[in-house]
Amino acid sequence: MRIDVVLRYVGIVMLFIAAFMLVSAGISCVSGMDSAFYPLLLSALLTILLGVFPLIFVGKRDQISNKEGFCIVVGSWLVACVVSMFPYLIWGGEFSLANAWFESVSGLTTTGASVLTNVEALPRGLQFWRFSTTWIGGMGVVMFALVVLPTMGRSKMTLSNMELSSLARDNYRYRTQMIVHVLLVVYVGLTALSTVMLKLSGMNWFDSLCHAMSAAATSGFSTKNASVAYFNSPLIETVLIVTMGIAGMHFGLIYATVTGKRNNLFRSEVTRWYVGILLGCSALIAISLYAAEIYPTLTSSFRHAAFQFFSLMTTTGFASADSSIWPPFAIVLLMFGSIVCACAGSTTGGMKVNRLVLAGKMIRKQLQRQQHPNAILRVKLDGILQEDGLLHGVMIFIVTYMLAILAGTVFATLCGVDLMTSFSGTIACLGNVGPGFGEVYSMGNYAAIPAAVKFFYTLLMLLGRLEIFGLIQLFFIKWWR
Amino acid sequence: MNVMTGMRKRVTAGFLSIVCLLFFSGMVSFIELSRLSRDTGEILGANQRNIELAKQMLDAVHDQNMAMVRLSVFGDRSYDSLCRAGIDRLEQALLTAQEEAFDKSFLDSLAFATTELRVLTDNFLAFGTGGAAADSLRTGVADSSGSRWYNEVYEVQYDKLISAINNYMTSTQSSLAPRAERMKTNAYRAVTPVLISLVVMIAIVLMFYYFILVYCVSPVERMDRGLENYLSFRVPFTVKGELKDEMLALKEKIESLINLIKQSK
Repeated sequence: MRIDVVLRYVGIVMLFIAAFMLVSAGISCVSGMDSAFYPLLLSALLTILLGVFPLIFVGKRDQISNKEGFCIVVGSWLVACVVSMFPYLIWGGEFSLANAWFESVSGLTTTGASVLTNVEALPRGLQFWRFSTTWIGGMGVVMFALVVLPTMGRSKMTLSNMELSSLARDNYRYRTQMIVHVLLVVYVGLTALSTVMLKLSGMNWFDSLCHAMSAAATSGFSTKNASVAYFNSPLIETVLIVTMGIAGMHFGLIYATVTGKRNNLFRSEVTRWYVGILLGCSALIAISLYAAEIYPTLTSSFRHAAFQFFSLMTTTGFASADSSIWPPFAIVLLMFGSIVCACAGSTTGGMKVNRLVLAGKMIRKQLQRQQHPNAILRVKLDGILQEDGLLHGVMIFIVTYMLAILAGTVFATLCGVDLMTSFSGTIACLGNVGPGFGEVYSMGNYAAIPAAVKFFYTLLMLLGRLEIFGLIQLFFIKWWR
Repeated sequence: MNVMTGMRKRVTAGFLSIVCLLFFSGMVSFIELSRLSRDTGEILGANQRNIELAKQMLDAVHDQNMAMVRLSVFGDRSYDSLCRAGIDRLEQALLTAQEEAFDKSFLDSLAFATTELRVLTDNFLAFGTGGAAADSLRTGVADSSGSRWYNEVYEVQYDKLISAINNYMTSTQSSLAPRAERMKTNAYRAVTPVLISLVVMIAIVLMFYYFILVYCVSPVERMDRGLENYLSFRVPFTVKGELKDEMLALKEKIESLINLIKQSK
């Protein structure tokens, strides 16, 4: 493996991050040279230096091996997390090393969990930097590198193989070069459209842009301590519900639908399941809230139920209400949404609806096999026959995912965190959701969690973002042929 | 003209990057530590000034009180000017404190108490509302009514003023606490950029070491091995791996030299 080649491409990613730091410093400058200007500028300079250095020595390469591609992706994520915490650390305030690392990883992995007790105290430049990290993370740090990679062809293919899960790749019926174009168009388009709609709904431009970036990246960071509940506006919540819902769908299918292609959202079985779960569970939660007299009318019950469920299932994590006081049935459904999450090929994390659908079909197949032992049974998704290897991989992923939840819960409880906080916090971090229940409820934060658990949760965030095996493979790179 | 090419250019650029970072972290620590030193100086200065002004006020009030005792209780008119001078000194110290204070709200109650004492003193000296004490002043001998006025009217006002001065001292000291707290943050801020710069520098030095090894040391070693094989065992001169810039030129020149020797034989 050529380490110099890996360093070169990680360096390009660093330059992208530095560009966003400079933009944030610019916002800080426009906002009257607030206290974030100096930390952002300093961080940008250091990151530029770190990014440029490998470029001085290593020239362009046309060929990148699978192993190198993997190291570029994982290395980019890890180094991006490190440099992204520079502005937080230099700014100080509530940011200790553990807090800055947590906030940085949470942003880049689009988890949106925060350790800040007073988000509104942050200067504008630093606020924008928080949202920049989520936006960069939403697209995938490496996807940004791909756009500017001067080399064409195979190197791009290798990197995108690592960045996109096999399930997501199945639905992309384009060339790799086109995938980058599709992702960018959908992502930037969704953010721009959402910004304008939020502005028209009553937010100011800064809040609109920040919330749109957060919703498109399915992150859940907010400029307000009370999150979206601060605005108390059904119109804003509706815009965000639509944005989050779209951001949870397969980007390739969104592009196909907009451009009038045959293989579109309406023909996708996974999308039908996704929308069905979203609406069905929202309705069930609304009924339970109305029955428990949490809200006076069915309409207001549905408003909050839909927002919270969309927010958690799309791994966004915005809050319009304190869901920790909701009935147990509603909490269980919200947790179910946090585990399943949205569709592959989107910016969301978690287990993904695709795997749930395939797991359901495999269970049905197993039942049929017991009734008809000699029958030749196949599993199809969207009319396409699924290979046994892929189905096997899905089941292994689900089992590993559950084991990771168990491990996270055990570790957090070992460190003195209560059971509800440990369990829901682990689900929320592994699925890149953000808020959970207990101490880390929708209106709370992760400030009171012990530092060791914060570090462990960031590991879970990275595991979730890199679809578990992506990160695990790093430890077995020597044996990888 | 010696134009920098290939490896030379890269090594120079790498070296300059490290120098820049060193200079950069040095400048950052210098600026931050200067700021920290200035903040510390300001806090200490403000603290010292506050104590000094409070002492001046207390001295003035004490002198004024002593003079008032002589005036009101013993009817000694020679303390008249001392009494006026005391209140003037108090007002002067208050004025200075008001000019220098970061937060003037701490001085409001003190200013009010000073004004009240000034009015009371002026009235007493002018026999306006001196009441009972006026008799002792007129006769120039000790009088119980003057003593009563001092105890019942003047001393109450005097205690109020002392309490206001004490309050000013503690309030001003408390107002310095947030600045001291900010200084603690500034100290953290002064150290963090330098630490981060150091971490980045370590990363860059490690990369620099790796690149020098891969692009300079390793090719030289490979060429050396190739030459040794050629000289010892007459194995054709070959260098494994990719070579670039000066190393590639060197390899080509060695090959040309070998060909030239072969041809001359």
